[in-house]
Amino acid sequence: MAEDHRAGLATRRFGTVAAAVQRSGALTVGGMSVEMPLWRAIGYFRVLALSYAILRYLSSFNDFLHPVSGWIYFGALTLWTLASSRAFAGPQRCTWYVLGTDLAFAVTGIVMSGIIDKPERIHAGAPTLPTIWAAGTVLGFAGKGGWKPAAFAATVVGLANILGHGGITPDNIHNIVLLMVAGCAIGYVIELARASEAVLTRALQVEAATRERERLSRDIHDGVLQVLALVQRREGDLGDLGDLGRLAGEQERALRALMTGGPLPAQAVDEPPPAERDLRQLIAPHAGERVTVSAPGTPVLLPAHAAAELAAAVGAALDNVRRHAGEDARAWILVEDEPDAVTVSVRDDGAGFAAGRLGEAEQAGRLGVSQSIRGRLRDLGGTAELYSVPGEGTEVEMRVPRKGQ
Amino acid sequence: MSDQVRVMVVDDHPMWRDAVSRDLADAGFAVVATAGDGEEAVRRALATTPQVVVLDLNLPALPGVEVCRRIVSHDPTARVLVLSASGEHADVLEAVKSGATGYLVKSAGRDELIDAVRRTALGDPVFTPGLAGLVLGEFRRLATEPAPAAAPAAPQLTGRETEVLRLVAKGLSYRQIADRLVLSHRTVQNHVQNTLGKLQLHNRVELVRYAIEQGLDDELSQG
Repeated sequence: MAEDHRAGLATRRFGTVAAAVQRSGALTVGGMSVEMPLWRAIGYFRVLALSYAILRYLSSFNDFLHPVSGWIYFGALTLWTLASSRAFAGPQRCTWYVLGTDLAFAVTGIVMSGIIDKPERIHAGAPTLPTIWAAGTVLGFAGKGGWKPAAFAATVVGLANILGHGGITPDNIHNIVLLMVAGCAIGYVIELARASEAVLTRALQVEAATRERERLSRDIHDGVLQVLALVQRREGDLGDLGDLGRLAGEQERALRALMTGGPLPAQAVDEPPPAERDLRQLIAPHAGERVTVSAPGTPVLLPAHAAAELAAAVGAALDNVRRHAGEDARAWILVEDEPDAVTVSVRDDGAGFAAGRLGEAEQAGRLGVSQSIRGRLRDLGGTAELYSVPGEGTEVEMRVPRKGQ
Repeated sequence: MSDQVRVMVVDDHPMWRDAVSRDLADAGFAVVATAGDGEEAVRRALATTPQVVVLDLNLPALPGVEVCRRIVSHDPTARVLVLSASGEHADVLEAVKSGATGYLVKSAGRDELIDAVRRTALGDPVFTPGLAGLVLGEFRRLATEPAPAAAPAAPQLTGRETEVLRLVAKGLSYRQIADRLVLSHRTVQNHVQNTLGKLQLHNRVELVRYAIEQGLDDELSQG
């Protein structure tokens, strides 16, 4: 039953990872897109350009050789523009077929203008039937595939102009260059927008996945801790497997120390060594079956060097406990953060010794270690005191003053 | 039956919940309710009025700290013993400020837990050395933190209370502390209880101040 419960939890949680990633993907494409407004602009441009072309034709169709064929062309062009307006809403819908048809309409219009208009008007620089509508085609190519297709479409439109409508004239060249520049520029911008959008989407996905993974690992750690503690609890019921309970207890403490021990090594890479360190992170790994660490809930910051030295002194004090109070002795570490100093006390529950026997104790081997502790603290401008009450163990109190206080 | 202590066990892990309930029942406690998520916990606590709530802080639906706050504000005689797996310092401190009177990590032994529930039922605070270190740190933080102008004065520990808390944090038992400071066992307990009381009072005053600032006092007095 419990397994089902956990398995259910796991799938549910992995489900939310996928959902979170999908959400973030949709967010970039839908909410923060640079591309979509461009497509909308192209859509409006095509309709406005069509209206402009029709108005121009309306004011001059009597001058044409074959006005009726011009009207037929505009009828077809209007139908096509409206029919393809939905396609010109985005790169997925606007297929190459649609763009090809669009280009065919533009070229047909331009070539037709050369046939149905009077040669003298064409030489005087009269516009083609579709006029600026042809630019919409080029912009469509730019939006679909970037600057290269845009350049291709602009070249086709330009060739149609030169071959079908007036040859190489300054006006034609001018228009072709403008079209080429505009098409390529928009195409390039779209490519950039797409690339940066992809990077952003990827970053958001990674971020969402990381956040979800952190949450998951917290939950999993919590669950693992519970199970380990549970096994340890049932140690007596395990019979021959009694060691399992003890091992579970050890692992539980190791994991807890790891979790409260600050950043994992992988996260610490690439970061410059910090000027200040949280003493708690350096001392937390000492916590174990026989060692209890008590500290404030907020970081106890010391200059990195002082923190490292103090932590080393704590390590030496714990060695001292193991060596002299016995392997079975328990120890308590208390970290205190005062405005003017940081104090760390290490107490054991060994036999202790009477005050008068301090000299003896030092001679019996405590001297070396306590000298190393005292030496480290003296270098930091601090103090180390050794207390003992017979029957109540020994206590080392190390105090490092804060600089500038 | 009537002298049995009524206990409620709140934990989202069914196996753990069952194991703790069984241990407590075997030890002669009446387990009147269990709950697997925060909202359920509050509902059942209000319905069954347990004397001691053994509470995990990592709960679905409603965080353990909030569960603690609601249960204690509804029934001030209810005692909350926090039994937490991951030892999240901030959460534990928050729970204690919200009215919990004891804290144990889940790796504590069966006997330790039973003893802790018994003491909690009697109204004695159950302080691990770790919690004493947190509470000491919190008082020092409150004392040094620049307080906003309208804030009540930060609570302060007396010299004796600090002394007692430091000894608790260094792993001495109440008995040992009493011997060392030449006090009675009861007095040591009272000192420990007072430190919690000050923290909880300060927390309540802060909450009310915050509520008044935010214009929530009407809602609070209704709720």
